[in-house]
Amino acid sequence: MKSESIHSIEISSLSKTYKGRKGKAVEALSELSLTIQNGEICGFLGPNGAGKSTTIKILMGLITATSGTATLCGLPVTDPGARKRVGYLPENPSLFDYLTAREYLALCGRAFAMDGESILRESQRVLELLDLREAADRPVRGYSKGMVQRLGLARTLLHDPDVFILDEPMSGLDPVGRALVKDILKDLKSRGKTVFFSTHITADVEVVCDRVAVIVGGRLRSVDVVDELLESGIEGYDIQVKNCAPALYAGLTSSPKASDITEIYVPRDRFNEFLAHLGKNGGDIHLIEPKRKDLEAFFLDILGKG
Amino acid sequence: MRLFLALTSVTLRGILRDRMLRAILGTVLLLILLVPVFSMFSMRQVQELAITITLSAISFFLLVMSLLLGSSSVWRDIERRYTSSILTLPVSRRAYILGKFSGIAIFIVCCGLFLFLVSVPVIMFAASSYPSDVPVHWLNIALAIGADILKYLLVAALALLFSTISTSFFLPFFATIAVYLAGSASQEVFEYVSGQFGTELQPASVAVIKGVYYILPNFSAFNLKVPAIYGLSHSPGGLALTTLYGVIYVVILLVLAIKIFSRRQLP
Repeated sequence: MKSESIHSIEISSLSKTYKGRKGKAVEALSELSLTIQNGEICGFLGPNGAGKSTTIKILMGLITATSGTATLCGLPVTDPGARKRVGYLPENPSLFDYLTAREYLALCGRAFAMDGESILRESQRVLELLDLREAADRPVRGYSKGMVQRLGLARTLLHDPDVFILDEPMSGLDPVGRALVKDILKDLKSRGKTVFFSTHITADVEVVCDRVAVIVGGRLRSVDVVDELLESGIEGYDIQVKNCAPALYAGLTSSPKASDITEIYVPRDRFNEFLAHLGKNGGDIHLIEPKRKDLEAFFLDILGKG
Repeated sequence: MRLFLALTSVTLRGILRDRMLRAILGTVLLLILLVPVFSMFSMRQVQELAITITLSAISFFLLVMSLLLGSSSVWRDIERRYTSSILTLPVSRRAYILGKFSGIAIFIVCCGLFLFLVSVPVIMFAASSYPSDVPVHWLNIALAIGADILKYLLVAALALLFSTISTSFFLPFFATIAVYLAGSASQEVFEYVSGQFGTELQPASVAVIKGVYYILPNFSAFNLKVPAIYGLSHSPGGLALTTLYGVIYVVILLVLAIKIFSRRQLP
């Protein structure tokens, strides 16, 4: 049963300081506050060493925060029970290499208090979904990096949790594997599951995420709705017109596309004016394509490298 | 309980699928099978020597196993990042440590029992070639192996404790050996300083030595080889106390291991 009033993930003023070399304090996370709503897919974007994995490790109870609190489904992350409704994929998962995939999934199923029949049935389902059925009875030590990653994903899906926390889920996957993971994420989204995943690949966030949180140097720099962000990044439009008098687009960048079609780049601030002129003077619109900054450009802006 | 059994089973599978451990077991088996041959070197005490060599071989094997398995238990899982795949399940660190130890303990107990069963026909065969005046006391031999099993469970718990604070094999392995050697000799040292020699030492030194004696596990308490070899009788009270001592010590070590591991930051 999913409680609507409780957020899937709630992070409040989370800080983590490590002891570095010569006892020097290294601040990996600083006052991070973030709430992931039920049913949303949130990308956690940041460069290497930004604090993404540190945040996720605190959420999964592998390390403790220096200060601040975090909850999963309303339970403090220090309580192992908080992980009952969570599917977690670590970055470059390292699974017991002497076990077979089936044995490993059986162990996970028991940890999630699944009964024997469910473990068998669900193991078969996720092994088939992730194309691991043929390798299911071989020890994990013989698996390729991509297969281990897929087995890690199979583990997250095994008990059909409400919340998924994925650390670099596309890492080590070939294009087919990446497409498969994207499909799985979209499927989870359609089923109302909550997904929080870290990545440094902006294209992945654009395709599947509702919101994106950007972390740099251990500090949360922004949290935005992906669609709004992309909409705000529209800089102009490529408009393909038919039978349009050249005088109408004088001063604008244009290029012929076919014998009677011309493509004109119209800046965002002149878009309405251009359409009004076109309506008054004649000419048919063949295609309008917004030209916008992609998420990578936003990300680089935040990093100050844009 | 199901989770605990699952964790125990995973540890056991890891042990049973380790080729090196199987090779060590094979070597000890071969050594025990050759006991009748070695026993022939003693012209008159073939049976006694056969029991001595068998018990020593079993004891040495269990020592090696408890040292290797205990020392390489937790830190290796951390180093290989297996902990990130198991402790991110709804598994407490306490359950993980207990599952780990119980897997090792079951293996040590099963190996002890298996080697005892193998040693029975070997000792019988060796004893029949030159019968002794003293009959073979099978119960004493079983008790000696049982006490050894308990001793090496303690060694394994000690190694596991060191493993929870270590980032490499060396600390748990060598620290456990050091404590094992000190703990095996502590009774003699205690008796030595408690006697005439103690009066010649500074009272503070005697107090320190006695303090260390009480802190270190007393491994010599588990040595029941002499009664097994010569068929001497045991005091049931003494056996019960030794068992209780071993069990309490193991529990204390596991509690400490859980406390330490619960605070450990994992990759």
